[in-house]
Amino acid sequence: MNAFLARNRLILLAYAGMVLLLVVTALFSPGFLSASNMRSTVVLAAFVGIVALGQTFVIVGGGIDLSVPWVLNSAAIIMALLCAGQDLPLIWVAPLVLAGGATIGLINGLGVAQFGVPPIIMTLATNVILQGLILVVTGGSPSPAAPSVIKFLSVGRIGGIPVIALIWLALTLIATLLLSKAAFGRHLYALGTSATVAEFSGVPTARTTVLTYVISGTTAALAGMLLTGYSGVAYLGMGDAYLFTSIAAVAIGGASILGGSGHYLGTVAGAMVLTILTGLLPALNLSSGALLVVYGAVILITVSLGSEAFAGLASTLRRSTRKT
Amino acid sequence: MPGGFSQRRIRSGTVMDLVVATGLTKRYGGIVALSEAEFSARAGEVHALLGENGAGKSTFIQILSGAARHDGGSILVDGQDFRPANPDAAQARGIAAVFQELSLIPDLSVEQNIWFRREPRTLIGTVDRTALRRKTLELLHKYDFPAIRPDRELRRLTLAERQIVEVAKGLAKEPRVLILDEATSALPAREAEWLLKLTRRLAAEGRLVIFISHRMAEVRAIADRLTIFRNGRTVAAHDAGAVSDGEIVTQMIGRNLDRLYPERLPTATDRVALRVDGLSSGRLSGVGFSLREGEVLGVGGLQGHGQRELFQALFGAAKASGGIELWGKPASISNPRAALTGRDGIALVPEDRRGQGLLLTKSVRENLTLAVIKRFTDKGFLSARKEEALVKEMVNFLRIKTQTPEQLAGTLSGGNQQKVIFGKMLLTEARVLLLFDPTRGVDVGTKGEIFQLMRDLAAKGYAILFHSSDMPELVHVADRVMVMRNGRIAATLEGERISEEGILGAAMLESEAA
Repeated sequence: MNAFLARNRLILLAYAGMVLLLVVTALFSPGFLSASNMRSTVVLAAFVGIVALGQTFVIVGGGIDLSVPWVLNSAAIIMALLCAGQDLPLIWVAPLVLAGGATIGLINGLGVAQFGVPPIIMTLATNVILQGLILVVTGGSPSPAAPSVIKFLSVGRIGGIPVIALIWLALTLIATLLLSKAAFGRHLYALGTSATVAEFSGVPTARTTVLTYVISGTTAALAGMLLTGYSGVAYLGMGDAYLFTSIAAVAIGGASILGGSGHYLGTVAGAMVLTILTGLLPALNLSSGALLVVYGAVILITVSLGSEAFAGLASTLRRSTRKT
Repeated sequence: MPGGFSQRRIRSGTVMDLVVATGLTKRYGGIVALSEAEFSARAGEVHALLGENGAGKSTFIQILSGAARHDGGSILVDGQDFRPANPDAAQARGIAAVFQELSLIPDLSVEQNIWFRREPRTLIGTVDRTALRRKTLELLHKYDFPAIRPDRELRRLTLAERQIVEVAKGLAKEPRVLILDEATSALPAREAEWLLKLTRRLAAEGRLVIFISHRMAEVRAIADRLTIFRNGRTVAAHDAGAVSDGEIVTQMIGRNLDRLYPERLPTATDRVALRVDGLSSGRLSGVGFSLREGEVLGVGGLQGHGQRELFQALFGAAKASGGIELWGKPASISNPRAALTGRDGIALVPEDRRGQGLLLTKSVRENLTLAVIKRFTDKGFLSARKEEALVKEMVNFLRIKTQTPEQLAGTLSGGNQQKVIFGKMLLTEARVLLLFDPTRGVDVGTKGEIFQLMRDLAAKGYAILFHSSDMPELVHVADRVMVMRNGRIAATLEGERISEEGILGAAMLESEAA
């Protein structure tokens, strides 16, 4: 475990940042640390965290998934339409929607791994196509209300603990096992570090790549269904915020945006940091516009901190200060 | 007391010396790369810098070329203090370096690379293409460069051609001091010969050439003087004529190296490990041969005659047609994963250590076990204990010098990096090994270990296909040598016929006619 921490000190930094933010926020808005507020913060962070789970795998593998907003949105709307407010259809609707998300991921993955389409183009294209398809399907009209089981999963509690927090915990455990304890994780880090070296070492690079996008499609679809429960209905544009936050959570969590390093445990902290920030800024009487500015700045700074360019700049600065 | 000894020696002729380093020290974190190293060289000489990998040669030339800054000691160039802030500043003082890790841009043409950031300009500030072409041709002509088209994109050149462009780029700066770091290691015999001649000529023009090479014969052929580094210190400086090969090697490695090449016992059996029939891929056309159990089969020839394609096709890294049999059974190898199938598989130590062989930012452990994750997976979970055992086994077996298995592979010396790649492939247990130039840029000590390892493996029944750009290695290590020409096997030499003349003869004789 020591070795793990030594090599992932960026993850520790993410948690340190999270604690610091909590303290600062509590100073500005004393009620922030109350149990009910912490609960709602964790619930909101869970949605970010679940979308960012798939994104973590994709980014560690050297790709990026820009299709999450409309995979999420499509899943939400299709689930709501097919269930029509009833719980019973969920028995087949939920697996169908998850499989649909996985299929979009499969298409993304095959496009990237088999046909050599750059990840940005491939996933951006599926995102736009899904957006168009959903507009055609719904004709722009609002969807029925979410089934009550879904509502329970996203806003319900068991013994005072939000159900979705338990779901998030279980997913975190699975993601951690995959990354740290399974062959798939080893393959993934090798792939993201150097696809050529991985290939020359017998790593199934194509299969590994495809799998990351399949995971990402699945988690985005899962988040879409759960988010419908949180807001009560599915609506157009409900996934848009998750493009930026899912990538930001991965970056703040210490992963290299170029692939090869990072861990979902870091992403969890990243999701918390982003959510706490959204709580802090209103307390500072900042507008939602200012919120976006701070968001952008935070991701820029954290990503730069991990980049080689910044390392080069830092050493240049050190040298020039030493000289003077 | 090596320090005092060398100091006196160097100081004695230094009044006119062009480059003088005294007490040069450089630390990277806790690692001391240079420790009070001494160096002195004068204009008009070829000065060889010798030492094993990790001896401090690279650090020294990085400092000299402005890529790194020293922590202690001083450098005088022309009697003036020298502490360049960056490579541009070093160039302004007339020092240019040709590196072994190529610094060229794949998407630019040859001429754009040679004059990169120093392109001739028109009046309105755009690149003057006519002048660019003229200056390039003048430069290539002046130094009698091998034929290279100035407008060709770098990515379309072979490794050897790129190395030659790198030399041209260095010369275009008209340096007073030119550093050649392993510049010949990527070159085939004829081009290497040309570069050695060029080196002599540059010295005759009054320049100082600092020459780094692991090939003793080259150093012998052109160096006037030589300085030997070991563990970051200067252990000796000699006039080249005043010292024997044996003394040099002893001073480099700090002990006697009995023999570079191990004894070649006949270990080949009659059993065929690898049979290749009508193999074609790219410029490779219809190659067929058999490699036997216990045999080291050399692959020689001028560079770019299909050796790379042969190795890549056999490993499944390039599309190919034709028949391949492993241990008597037809094998379909469409990708490296299909090649690495355990004991009956086929493994490759690739040409490009950093680009194909190693995950530089991952640990020695992760690199070693990357191809054999199955071997320590238990019901879907990795077993850290079993992995550790595998790693320990290989680190000990190959004597990999690493502080801990968690050390990042990129921080190892070149020789130890190569050992990690060997270890990764040996762990797959594949008994047919493809070794593509495994000693390139590897220090003498490790070279000897690699040759010994090859012979030991052959004795254990491994079958080894071995390409080297250094002909004496083929002559001394291989049981048979296949010489390639124009994508075909031009000749297979055995016994007495294995010699540098024999290889070169078969490689070149008919290629003029072809």
